[in-house]
Amino acid sequence: MLSRRTRSRPRLLGLAIAAGCLGAAALVSTIVASDHQDTALVELNPRRDINDVYAFPASSAGRVVLAVTTQSPLTPAATSNALFDVNVLYQIKIDNSGDGVEDLVYQVTFRHRDGDEQQLVEVRGPVAPAKTGTVNTLVNIAPAVSGPINTVLGSASGLQVFAGPRADPFFIDLERFFRIIPDRRPATGPLSRLPEAPSASSFRNPGVNFLDGINAMAIVLEMPKSFLGAGAGGAVGVWATTSIAGESR
Amino acid sequence: MSRSTSRVTLALIGAVLLAAACNDGAKIGGPDSPSLRVTPGTNYRQVEFLANPLVSEVTVFKQQHQAYNTSMPYASAQFIPVTQQFITGFGRPQALADLLSTVLYNGGHGDMLLFYPDRDPTTTGWLSWALQPGVGAGGRKLTDDVVDLGLTAIFSSFLNPTGALCQPFQLPLCTDNVNTTARAPAGTFPYLAGPF
Repeated sequence: MLSRRTRSRPRLLGLAIAAGCLGAAALVSTIVASDHQDTALVELNPRRDINDVYAFPASSAGRVVLAVTTQSPLTPAATSNALFDVNVLYQIKIDNSGDGVEDLVYQVTFRHRDGDEQQLVEVRGPVAPAKTGTVNTLVNIAPAVSGPINTVLGSASGLQVFAGPRADPFFIDLERFFRIIPDRRPATGPLSRLPEAPSASSFRNPGVNFLDGINAMAIVLEMPKSFLGAGAGGAVGVWATTSIAGESR
Repeated sequence: MSRSTSRVTLALIGAVLLAAACNDGAKIGGPDSPSLRVTPGTNYRQVEFLANPLVSEVTVFKQQHQAYNTSMPYASAQFIPVTQQFITGFGRPQALADLLSTVLYNGGHGDMLLFYPDRDPTTTGWLSWALQPGVGAGGRKLTDDVVDLGLTAIFSSFLNPTGALCQPFQLPLCTDNVNTTARAPAGTFPYLAGPF
């Protein structure tokens, strides 16, 4: 067992690195920032950021869509080279028993094809997780769907998958929002330079959609609604997480 | 090597190490090492959590976002007092704060996007399960104006007239006057519009 002193060193090192990263990012950042980046950690690691979660009926009867966006704000110039993080476990979690604990998960991971730079997506699920809560493992089963990103994969009657760049569907007058509630503004980018104290008490007319012209990396899953495991007429709770290696509990 | 040269060298090494540390997951372009990937048998620690829009990003103070991101629905009820404080901080009544936090935190089960997949698809929309009890499918569509709905729920007479600051979906605070997504979603898979 590690002593408290030994265990504290990586934390102090991590804090020092994080502080350095903050300073470096503040100096070099040119990317616009948005409300999506809700902490410095995900702001500096945008591939770990979950921007939005959606759940809605598909265009075909009896099917549903679960979608997650990440990495916004991506400028069009940055989008052409955008990739998912191969070290991040992206998950969409489903509670169909009403206790706030995931009963089923979709686990989405990425890797590079041997011999080239093509990024591949692998989707496992729906499957009961090996571990629930905030420390998870990748289930040890073959992917239900896999293939290149930016491609429609899978079956239109089973699990269908798309992972790649899309226009960010969210819309908000973000600058005005941060002028009203400046506490929520990001740590980097032009919006970080808005006044620390409230500088507006109302929205404006016309409003300005800050996300017009901005892209995100999207993970879109379509499936028969039976895949959600809800009881007849029942509800499911849906949320998304990102996780990184680093905890042994 | 002179002392000043050593210092410069050390500074450069430090800068390179710092850049490497900062680069973890943050780079936009270029391939990652093919040897790195998510693997079975490894524990993965949650660093981000999102369900209902606006709950954590708006009603929870930013200094608590990291704690929220490492939470889970079943544990997110601990943030209900913060959400209520945000609402009452604008002079809105405690009864409204109680009602909204009950809806957003699903009666204590926690922050989840509640979705009834068997209900009429035309009733799908953020919080429609609460606004049309027994009918609304809930979930969240790509076109849902969650900002205006959230602002209206908190600041207008829509749910509680006491101390309302604006009419539903009207200025000064119940709309941001941005009502549509920049690119209309497609009607078929993958639904989200192509990138700019």
